[in-house]
Amino acid sequence: MTKLFERRLAPADSPLAVAGTTTLALFAAMAVAAIFFRYYGVSPIQAYFGLFHEPFATLHGFGYALVRAAPLALVALGTIVSWRSGFYYLGFEGCFVMGAAAAGWLSLSTAPGARLGPLPFALFLPLAVLFSWTVGGLWAGLVAFVRVRLGGNEVLISLMSNYVARLFLQYLVSGPLRAPGSQPETTLLPRGTWLPFLFPGTRGHAGILVAVVAALFVWATLQKLPLGYELIVTGFNPAAARYAGIEVGRRMMLAGFFAGGLGALAGMAEALGSQHRLMDGISGNMGFVGIIVALLSRLNPLATVPVALVYGGMAVGADAMQRRASIPSSITFILESLAILLVLASDILRFYRLNFSVLGRFKWRVSRSQDPA
Amino acid sequence: MNGHSIVVSAFLVAWVSASLRLAGPVLVAALGETFAEQSGILNVGIEGTILLGALASFLASHRTGMVWTSLLVATLVGVAANLFLAWMYVSVRASQVITGLVFNVLALGLATTVYRLALGHSAAPESIAVFQPLRVPVIARIPFVGPVISQPAPFYLTLLLAVVSQVVLYRTDFGLALRATGENPAAADSAGISVERMRYLGTLLSGAGAGMAGGYLVLAQVGLFRETIVAGQGFIALAIVIFGRWNPLKATLAALVFGACDALQLSLQIFGTRVPPQLLLALPYLVTILAISGLFGNRAVPPAALMKPYVKD
Repeated sequence: MTKLFERRLAPADSPLAVAGTTTLALFAAMAVAAIFFRYYGVSPIQAYFGLFHEPFATLHGFGYALVRAAPLALVALGTIVSWRSGFYYLGFEGCFVMGAAAAGWLSLSTAPGARLGPLPFALFLPLAVLFSWTVGGLWAGLVAFVRVRLGGNEVLISLMSNYVARLFLQYLVSGPLRAPGSQPETTLLPRGTWLPFLFPGTRGHAGILVAVVAALFVWATLQKLPLGYELIVTGFNPAAARYAGIEVGRRMMLAGFFAGGLGALAGMAEALGSQHRLMDGISGNMGFVGIIVALLSRLNPLATVPVALVYGGMAVGADAMQRRASIPSSITFILESLAILLVLASDILRFYRLNFSVLGRFKWRVSRSQDPA
Repeated sequence: MNGHSIVVSAFLVAWVSASLRLAGPVLVAALGETFAEQSGILNVGIEGTILLGALASFLASHRTGMVWTSLLVATLVGVAANLFLAWMYVSVRASQVITGLVFNVLALGLATTVYRLALGHSAAPESIAVFQPLRVPVIARIPFVGPVISQPAPFYLTLLLAVVSQVVLYRTDFGLALRATGENPAAADSAGISVERMRYLGTLLSGAGAGMAGGYLVLAQVGLFRETIVAGQGFIALAIVIFGRWNPLKATLAALVFGACDALQLSLQIFGTRVPPQLLLALPYLVTILAISGLFGNRAVPPAALMKPYVKD
């Protein structure tokens, strides 16, 4: 008996099958979100148009999209480095916060009369990059150390470490770095330490350039350097890597250091480029969303910046929709997360083949039963 | 009794009863998660499930005014949501961590959108029926003990569930089959245990616990719904499961330690001490990290097949 859906022994892995199931999943997610748009009395087509018009057809909106994209791309790059090395780190919220704290602290110490005093920006920026990279790198590297030397589970440890980092920043902004006033936050960072804006009149800042440089750096390291090859082999098959003479443990710790550093740069970009001060909750979940961006980029470093731009752009479009048509921006959370879940789930479709012959037989039977003779 | 000891005893009463109050919802969620993890599923999606349970119980209580029904609705919504998660984890064999994390975003989007749709533009927070603390006639008047044990009914339900979970996990065939699945699915399979069914059940039980935790949060603690209401409690439940070494009774103690740290930081803020409250809040996480890190030799070892999808050869 042939069935309409017949189970295959191996998944269909032709590019057509992958593209087909992925497209189907994306359309399914858009259809579900469309139901919610209809509830708010907006035509889904208009809604989807609006979602992309603001960030990609107006300069102002594009600037905001760049602001959102830069940290997401940096976190995504960190995810790629660590996950491809077999180190399933989930602590980017923590790295983000530690990087932001490091950059913010350094920036505050260059205020007139503070510890360091004013520095030229050309000197301050490398210092800030170095300092937040080191802090974030050690933060994640410590987890890698625990994984490699003591055998602790990095997924669980890194999830817990996010809270420690968050509470640490909460302590800083409500204690030693707190500005006089009612809110637990620092004073505005000195203007001389802000990342420069790219286009006059928009909020887009140089953080996106940092992300682009980092993407090229990660791509070149992973694809062109022996070190990257060793990292990828470590992630692919640690036993084989060890047999080939690669020091798996050290490579994994290095991956942790790199990943944490990239995550910290995301925090630095947010603090110096967008918020211009430190406060509790500065990461705004970007440490997790960045992981999603990495997955959507299929762990390809060059894809992170465009994917982050689309992702960040949709957030900007959603905010604009909420302001103008009072459609809650939470619908885009549904759209984005459902798209990812269904793309993941669509893999199961590749285990089935459609037997159109079943449909043909069905039609034939129907037509014969209608025939009185 | 002099003034000093009155202050101390008032502080102790406030601290202990707040500890118990704060420990409740995370403990229910942790008990459910214990079943999922013992079957080999790390269900990170409980954070989102708690939120969905919170919303469901809020709406149910708002409509019906019946607290027990609302708690049941929250539990059922948790189970329903986790049917999807179980399908993703077990049938699709998608990465458990990714699925769980993305599901949390989905749940946040759904809860926020549905809450707005359901309550429209009413600006004032709606008042709903909530659980009142139980006041046992005679005992409630005993100093210290009375105020401390006057907790709402779900608290006692949670303690009961902890004992039941312990018995089910360690004294029944089902518990043995579940733990075998999480430890060595291939061996469990060859012993005739359906790995798929055990993992579905484990995930659904964690959904029930998380959904009930959401209901508990709304119906016995907060009395209203906000999309920020859960604020990482699902992740705290994950920490409690580890800290309690995948054992329901130890998880109960772990939840009390977390609750005590949380409550102590609240009390100390009221008394205006110099200890930063964040240090106390971070303490349970630090202890959990140390417990799983293996720094002190005898490491808390997770079920061996945790996070590993099972493919039958």
